[in-house]
Amino acid sequence: MLQGTLDMLVLQTLALGPMHGWGITQRIEQISESVLRVNQGSLYPALYRLEEQGWIHSAWGATENNRQAKFYSLTARGKKQLATERESWSRLPGAVGRILDAEV
Amino acid sequence: MPKFEEDMERELRFHLDEAAAEFMRAGMAPQAAYAAAERRLGRRELIKDECRDTRRNIMLETTLRDLRYGVRVLFKNPGFTLAAVLTLAAGIGANTAIFSVVYGVLLRPLPYAQGSDLVVLHQKTATADELRFSVPEINGYREGNKTLTSVVEHHSMVFLLLGKNIAERVQTAVVSANFFSVLGVEPKYGRTFVADDEKPGSDAVLVLSHNYWLTRHGGDPSIVGKVFQMNSRAHTVIGVLPPIPQYPQESDVYMPTSQCPTRSSARFQQNRNGRMMTVFGRMKPGATLAEAQADLSAQAGRMAQAYPESYPRERQYGIVARGLRDELTEKAEPLLLVLLAVTGFVLLIACANVANLLLARLLRVERELAVRTALGASRWRLVRQLLAEGVLLSLAGGVLGVVMAPLALRALVSFTERFTTRAAEVSIDTPVLVFSLILAVVTGLLFSLVPALAVSRLQQGAGRQTGSRSRGRLRASLVVAQVAVSFVLLVGAGLMVRSFQKLRSERPGFRPEQLLTMRVTPNFYRYQGREALDVLWQRVLHKVAEVPGVAAVATTANAPFDPAGIASGPNNTEFQIEGRPVSPGTLAPTVDITGVSAGYFATIGQPLLAGREFTERDDNAALKVAVINDTLARHRWPGEDPVGRRITFDAGRTWIQIAGVAGDVKEYGLDRPAGDEIYLPIRQAGFSGILIVRTAGEPLRMAAAVRRGLAEVDSELAVDRVSTIARFQEESMAPAKLTAMLLGLFAGLALVMSMSGLAAVMALAVSQRTQELGIRLALGAPRGSVLQLVTWQGMAMTLAGLAIGVAGSLMLTRFLAHLLYATSATDIVTFIGAGALFLIVAGVACVVPAWRVMGIDPVAAIRQE
Repeated sequence: MLQGTLDMLVLQTLALGPMHGWGITQRIEQISESVLRVNQGSLYPALYRLEEQGWIHSAWGATENNRQAKFYSLTARGKKQLATERESWSRLPGAVGRILDAEV
Repeated sequence: MPKFEEDMERELRFHLDEAAAEFMRAGMAPQAAYAAAERRLGRRELIKDECRDTRRNIMLETTLRDLRYGVRVLFKNPGFTLAAVLTLAAGIGANTAIFSVVYGVLLRPLPYAQGSDLVVLHQKTATADELRFSVPEINGYREGNKTLTSVVEHHSMVFLLLGKNIAERVQTAVVSANFFSVLGVEPKYGRTFVADDEKPGSDAVLVLSHNYWLTRHGGDPSIVGKVFQMNSRAHTVIGVLPPIPQYPQESDVYMPTSQCPTRSSARFQQNRNGRMMTVFGRMKPGATLAEAQADLSAQAGRMAQAYPESYPRERQYGIVARGLRDELTEKAEPLLLVLLAVTGFVLLIACANVANLLLARLLRVERELAVRTALGASRWRLVRQLLAEGVLLSLAGGVLGVVMAPLALRALVSFTERFTTRAAEVSIDTPVLVFSLILAVVTGLLFSLVPALAVSRLQQGAGRQTGSRSRGRLRASLVVAQVAVSFVLLVGAGLMVRSFQKLRSERPGFRPEQLLTMRVTPNFYRYQGREALDVLWQRVLHKVAEVPGVAAVATTANAPFDPAGIASGPNNTEFQIEGRPVSPGTLAPTVDITGVSAGYFATIGQPLLAGREFTERDDNAALKVAVINDTLARHRWPGEDPVGRRITFDAGRTWIQIAGVAGDVKEYGLDRPAGDEIYLPIRQAGFSGILIVRTAGEPLRMAAAVRRGLAEVDSELAVDRVSTIARFQEESMAPAKLTAMLLGLFAGLALVMSMSGLAAVMALAVSQRTQELGIRLALGAPRGSVLQLVTWQGMAMTLAGLAIGVAGSLMLTRFLAHLLYATSATDIVTFIGAGALFLIVAGVACVVPAWRVMGIDPVAAIRQE
């Protein structure tokens, strides 16, 4: 999976609410109906990168089972970033389609 | 484990636990579930490495990007960059120079082995603070203490070095053999003294000081073994010292005690009251100064009990132990701390100035910032860029400052030399450079913090209007702070100048112009006894009087303003007045005695108020006479005529009749009020040594002719310290003058900086308000009143700053009080003068930028976007 894709997926997942790393992998797989299998090992560096960029924020908190986990949440700038990326992603299918059409 | 590592570990562990739990719910055995979860996650160490790299790369990348951006911005604004770097260079350079002196004098360990264990001993009495020690006393303290490993003695003598073309006076330190080993000084060449050198009858040996070896013997590396003819005796050079600060005074050569005729005489060695030596010692490792003090005081008590006749109870004999470092730097310390504070203030002003320049620039790029913020640049990111820019600026300023500091250092060192011998150790070396580097970085962070705060407010504030208004307030408060601090510095400098003026306007009590002076030292081996010396001085006086151009000549033991006299101070000799016996258990009055030749008062122009002055007939066979000064006359014979009264210095064995009363002379410096003074004729009182010649023309031009006359009397007379009394007087005021100049220099620098800050803020305000001012003009406001309006804005800042500055000065100038002469630390004239000067300069700094109002075209201004 492309790095940019994973970033956007993480941001999109967190847009639904704060979540820990394990939860993020679960949810991405759920939403994409297991089509997109997250390479679990590459999730964490991505989270760190997003946090350094100021798009997400992390804090320790308790899970439903009352275990301590590091929860990630979207920052205001993260939301903006997500919107920008969404826009370019939504334009992509059209662009790809036009290229395919032109080739036919 | 660092927090980052710990968090990472906990986070991955949580992931594994959850993943394994998932597998277990699917029916796997725990062990297999963990294995599967681990496979699914990947190797944890690799993940961690990647996380670490990610973080490191991002940090490094952004830092580099910030720095690159900063460099680009600075090069894009060369005017701004130049102004900021120069301001910072001045601030950091001044601090570097002063700190290098503070470090070399106050902080650097003494260049002696374990210098902090060295203590100086002083005896004190009810009337004298720094009494020296006699041989029995030294032995008493050496044997009767428990806290010192060794006790060392020192006294100084004058020797003549003969065998060259002219006789040379050599300042000689006579020391105990353990002197250098206790200090821990290793010779540069040869050896220092060993115990055998101190035995009676041992060969005469010399150790040369580094400076004397360098200046008088050309740094000859093969000097060890050479033989010097000193006072008719052969002395062999055995060693040369390294460059070290010499305690208690700078000497040319060192000799062991056995070579001093006085010190080695049996009679002197037994005389408990022959107090001639300075003493210091080394404390045992671990002993504290307080312990040494208590131990030595106990020994002093034992000696006072054993020899009550040497330590009369009413004199309150005691002993004081002080650290050698404190002793060496005691005069320099308060002054250096004042200078350090002053340059610290200058740097603060420089910081405020650069912060203001940054703010002004920020205003111009406000739109760019707004755009970047809208595009999602984080506030932290902008702040970081500003900080990077600030640190770049201050590092550039720091480098330039450190390069400039040595230019000021020479002058600063020669200034410091007047207060401490440690000045020779001052240099800009690693600790000083580290200090400057830290200073530069802290400075950079400090002044970029202000605009950084402004940026964060820019983001929080809703509209552009509030942002720029609050920044206007920020700029104004920076200017107010600058004005306040530079006013404090101006008042400080003003007080020093005023103190110097007061000092300068003191009347010395004689006519110092056209007085040539020189020190004349005979070979004492050839003039033994008072008679021989009397004959010599009479011949000298007659011979010099014959030299064409000499109006009058006299000799004295201490010329007015003589640096040596100022250093040693009055000699506080006890005397008794006839008919007023000193009752047992009380202290006898003391007085300063100076031996002078016939015609001395006429020569220097010291007026005689009553009686007569000395003539050649006042010789040893005649009636013993004295001249006293006005202070003593009024002090001891108020409302009476002291002429004809008698006094004695030896409990009535010899009576001396007062022959005259002379006016007061401030011979120990203009800052010291005249004390009780008695002059005795040298033909009766013995030794003098300083020749004073009143010349018809320029005094120093007569020096050669006078010296030729002296050589005709005796070619072995050593002549040195040829100068004029007027120069001595100037020299005695030099510390006050230089301090005033130095503080004035820094205050001037502060004034220029803060006024350029004010002018810059005014210029910005005018350009920002062009539109508003244009509307005012269009509506018919006279240009004069608009100008007034703008100028008033600047003057309001100045007045606010002055008000704070006055309060600050009232609080701070008391730290200058001990440096001031006849000037109160809250001297009203200085405060008013400094305030007036400030207002004038500030007025110019406000009006010049405000003048642009006169050129505003109302129509163009209103049309402006």
